[in-house]
Amino acid sequence: MAACVSEGEARVTVEKSFSRVLNVAEVPPGTKQLVEVGGKPILICHSNDRLFAISNICSHAEEKLECGRMSRGWIACPVHGARFELATGRAMNPPAVKPIATYEIRIVDDWIEVAV
Amino acid sequence: MSVDMPERQKTQLEKGEARCPGAPSTQEIIGKDKVAAPGWVCSESYQFLGDQDISTDRYIDPAFAKTEFDKLWTRTWQFACREEHIPQVGDYHVYDVGPYSFIITRVGTNDIRAYYNACLHRGTKLRASGTEGRASEFKCSFHGWSWNIDGTNKSVMCQWDFPHVDRRKFSLPQAKVELLGGFVFINMDPDAASLADYLGREAKAHLDAWKLEDRYVYLHVSKRLPCNWKLAVEAFLEAYHVIQTHSQVAVSNGDANSQYDIYGEHVNRFISTLGVLSPHLYGKYTEQDILDQFTLGDAGALGDTKRTLSEGGTARQVMADMFRSMFEKATNTDLSGVSDSEMLDCFSYTLFPNCFLFPGISLPMVYRFRPDPRDHRKCIYEVLFLRPVPVDGKRPEPAEVIHLADTQSFTEAEGMDPGFGAILDQDTDNLFLQQEGLEASAKRGLTLGNYQEIRIRHFERALEKYLAMEPKRPDRERLQSR
Repeated sequence: MAACVSEGEARVTVEKSFSRVLNVAEVPPGTKQLVEVGGKPILICHSNDRLFAISNICSHAEEKLECGRMSRGWIACPVHGARFELATGRAMNPPAVKPIATYEIRIVDDWIEVAV
Repeated sequence: MSVDMPERQKTQLEKGEARCPGAPSTQEIIGKDKVAAPGWVCSESYQFLGDQDISTDRYIDPAFAKTEFDKLWTRTWQFACREEHIPQVGDYHVYDVGPYSFIITRVGTNDIRAYYNACLHRGTKLRASGTEGRASEFKCSFHGWSWNIDGTNKSVMCQWDFPHVDRRKFSLPQAKVELLGGFVFINMDPDAASLADYLGREAKAHLDAWKLEDRYVYLHVSKRLPCNWKLAVEAFLEAYHVIQTHSQVAVSNGDANSQYDIYGEHVNRFISTLGVLSPHLYGKYTEQDILDQFTLGDAGALGDTKRTLSEGGTARQVMADMFRSMFEKATNTDLSGVSDSEMLDCFSYTLFPNCFLFPGISLPMVYRFRPDPRDHRKCIYEVLFLRPVPVDGKRPEPAEVIHLADTQSFTEAEGMDPGFGAILDQDTDNLFLQQEGLEASAKRGLTLGNYQEIRIRHFERALEKYLAMEPKRPDRERLQSR
């Protein structure tokens, strides 16, 4: 998988670097696992029959999302209740307005890999 | 001793006794079904309640809406969410009605509470409206005061500065909570009668028979409507409008011979048979036409099914048999004990003030209507479809709410049957015309039919009862954790 970035006048293609983080069996449907990639805390979430990789840090008050309720494609911050779409990171309700980071995710040979 | 009635009085009907001439009654239709209906279907409970006009002020006067917030909404039982919305301890769901807001929280396996959604410091909502999640505490996002999920105060930021705050007296105020059929009902009045008493014994027995706790929310759609909330409620209280508003379904709907019943002060219903021709259309359509033009509420469960009428058969029986087998397959459930009437017919129950339950299989909806606290000419309408929990016992998660924009069609909601979405569009498209017409009219009252519009009169009588009371505003002292 590749991403295009600008560098001055020229456009170059940079291969994204994926890191192997978990076996798919370690994240059954309806669950989430906290991992660290490149020093960043990342939640691997299994919701609505899909896997997602999101930042573990709420954009509102920088609380951890790992204990928050996950349901139907969203996760709720357990401290003040902001919710975020797992697919896009979009803040769904106050008190958050900014999105959280999301990361590319793929499965290779039953292993979950994340690009950070 | 008995005396024969004079012949004149035998034929002269009292007010409210007239029924659609030349048409079988709902009970006569159901009585011919192959799989017999249960007792709650077969009963009748109509009562004439007068024929005076209903004042238009209650729909168009903003002061009237304000009075409702002080007298009505603070005293009545309301469906706040389904239990499945908060399956685990710590799960919460925020329910708003008018200016009021509650955090509905599961505190234990069988312990659900409804907290007033406001910090006891400077009033900030502890959770945003329309949200849900899971909490180990409810912490205010402003200064960090927090409460345990059992409602007791957990901490006061800089307690040293609040020597006048006794934390034992700073538990979150609560509304009353009762559970019924998988629904979480709340009532803001600490003196309110129990939900069972509020509904009455007979209506409660009907609800118990449906076992709606064994269903789950398959589809949930919300839309703001351009009318007072009572006009929206009343648009769904009768089948009298079907022939004019939904002419496409009249071919397979016994509209003018629907049955209307009232139970106590807070519950009423109609039964509108399906798979039979409207009395308005007698002589114009065949049984095959009825079969071909049948419109469904939850057709997504059926797929494309060929409709064939056997020799001498009826459209109603074909549809009942087809529904039973197809719904069993589509939803992985056993419906062998469910009557033809429950499979087919539209059972519309209202739990005053704002909840409709439709316990049928083909029309398995729940409606909820809430006033807009900022505009008495607007309200929020929600329609939920409930499907049986699959026989393997695995309960699907309740559907996420689809919020339609004011200008969107119900047919645009993903998962909505297009035919049913069109019906809802027709229903709701009338409403802004009615709101504006009431404001423009030289006539200051609504005139109601004695039978087909009895549910509207019954609804308005309950409304009048509450509005005759003194205002009842939340009193924190009386609402502390009990």
